[in-house]
Amino acid sequence: MQIYLPIAEMSVDALLLVGLGFLVGWLSGLFGVGGGFLLTPLLILIGVPPAVAVASGANQTLGASVSGLIAQARRANVDWPMGAVLVAGGLAGSLAGVQLFALLRRLGQLDAAVALSYVVILGVVGALMVMESLRALLRRRRALPARMHQHGWAHGLPFKMRFRKSRLYMSALPPLAIGFGIGVLSAIMGVGGGFMLVPAMIYLLGMPTAVVIGTSLLHIVCVTAAVTFLQAVQLGAVDIVLTLLLLLGGVAGAQLGVAMGGRLRGEETRALLGLLVLAVAALLLWNLIAPPEEPFSVERAPW
Amino acid sequence: MVKALLTALLLLAALAPGARAEALVARLSAERIAVTTAFTGESLLVFGSTEEPIGPGGDEILVVARGPTAPFVVRRKVRVLGLWLNGPSARFEEVPGFYAILGSRAAWRLLPEAVRQERGLGLDALPLAASGARGPAFRAALLELKREAGLWQEEAGEVEIAGARLFSARIPLPSTVPAGAYSVEVYLVRSRRIVATEFLGFEVARTGTAARIEALARGAPALYGLLCVVLAALAGWLGSVVFRRG
Repeated sequence: MQIYLPIAEMSVDALLLVGLGFLVGWLSGLFGVGGGFLLTPLLILIGVPPAVAVASGANQTLGASVSGLIAQARRANVDWPMGAVLVAGGLAGSLAGVQLFALLRRLGQLDAAVALSYVVILGVVGALMVMESLRALLRRRRALPARMHQHGWAHGLPFKMRFRKSRLYMSALPPLAIGFGIGVLSAIMGVGGGFMLVPAMIYLLGMPTAVVIGTSLLHIVCVTAAVTFLQAVQLGAVDIVLTLLLLLGGVAGAQLGVAMGGRLRGEETRALLGLLVLAVAALLLWNLIAPPEEPFSVERAPW
Repeated sequence: MVKALLTALLLLAALAPGARAEALVARLSAERIAVTTAFTGESLLVFGSTEEPIGPGGDEILVVARGPTAPFVVRRKVRVLGLWLNGPSARFEEVPGFYAILGSRAAWRLLPEAVRQERGLGLDALPLAASGARGPAFRAALLELKREAGLWQEEAGEVEIAGARLFSARIPLPSTVPAGAYSVEVYLVRSRRIVATEFLGFEVARTGTAARIEALARGAPALYGLLCVVLAALAGWLGSVVFRRG
C-alpha cells in the first residue's frame, strides 16, 4: 500500500515502514535500547532524505520512550533532580546540535556528516560492548569487581548538588556536560542516545543502576521532544506520517521483544547487540568509502 | 483514458464547423491534477485538431509542458581522505520542476536552431544559468538525473495523428511532480516555421490529509512541531497500553 509522505515528499510502502518499525522495536525490546541508532540509518537506506530521517527518528524515539518513562516513574525509579540537570544540558545541546545540523545542510555536507558520526559513535560503542561482554564471558564464574565510583576527578568542581536518590553529592557540571553532549548527538543523529547515556551515568557519574534507566528515559523523552520541535521549526524536516507509521510497528515489536528478551543471558545479549551495532557502522562506512555509482546529486536549493 | 479520448473526439467533431476558421485548436483532458496521499502518478492528454492536414507530408505538431521553476543545486562527490564527500557545486536558478516536449517529429528536425533556443524547445534549449562551479558536466548531470526521475522528458513521435486532422499526445506525470501551475504550449509547424500556437495550462495541487499536513508544517511550524511531540507521545503511550493488554 503506497502512501505519500508529505514532508519527505516521496511515496513509500506503508507496510514497509510499519515492518521496519516492528523490526527495530523488537530489537530494542530484546536488548533494552532505544533503537533510534538502527532506525535512522535504515530510513536513509530506503531513500528517505537524511534530514527527514534524523528529525522523524528523534520524533519516533520520543514516542517509543514515553511509556517506559511512565512505568519507571510509577516505580519511583527516576532521580528527578539529576534528570533536571541532565535535561538542562540536553536542551542546550539539542539547540546547538540543530544549529550545527542547519549549517551542515547549507554546506551540502549533511549526509556525509550524519553517516560519519554514525560510523564513529557506533564503531566505538559497538567495539566497547563486544570487548566488555567477551571479557565478562571469559570470567563469568568469578565475582564481579566492585564498581568504580569515579569520585576523584569530579571532586574539585564547583556547583555541588545533593542527589538523594542516586546517593551522590557532586558538582552539577559533569551531568550538565554529559547531557549537552548527548543532546548534540540526538539532534544530529536522530537518536535518544541511551546507548551512550546509560554507560556514562553508571561509569562517569557513578549512579546506582536502579535509577539509571528511569533517569535516562527522562532525558531521552525531554531531549527528543526538544529536537522534534526545533527540527520542525527550523528545518521543517519532521514527517508526522512517517513517525506514526514507524511507531505503529515499533510499539508492537517492542512488546514482543521484551517478552523474548527474558530468555537471553545478559552477556550474550550485550555481545549480540555490540555485533549488530558494529555491522550497522561497517555498512555506513562502506557507503562512505565505496566509489559512488552516481558522482552527482541534485537537490532543491535549501536557501 | 480511452473514454476520455472518445469524448474528446466527439467534442471536436461537434466543434468542427465553428472551428473551421482556426488553424489550430487544442485542449487538455484535465485542468487540475489532484495529488492525494495515494497518488502514484497520472497522465494528461493533450488533444486537438487542425485546419490543414497534419502528419507525413503535411504540417507538424509540437507539444511542450513546463512545471513551476525553483532553484536547484547540483553537487559532485570528491574523494577526501578516502571518503566520498560532496565537493564542488553549481546552482541553477530557474529550473523547471517538470518539462516534457513531444512532437510528431523531433523538435530539432522541425524548427531552426535559433527558434528552438529562443523558445526553449528541447532539453538542450532550456535556459539554465548556473552559478558556482563551472563546466558542462554539472548541466549534463542535472539533465541526466531529471530525466531518470521522469521529470524531464524528450521523446519524438509521441504525438498521435488520426485522420490527418486530429492529434493527441499523452504527457505522463510521475508521482514526484511538483505542485504548482503548469503551462502547455501547442505549436503548429509548417515548413520550419511556427504558424499557430495554443497556450493552455493546468494545475497540480496537493489535496487531502497530506496537503493539510504540509500546509500546517510550512504555515505554522511551531504549532506543527508541538503537534508532532504530542501525537508521538500519545501514540507511544496508547500503543503500549493496547499491546500490553492484548
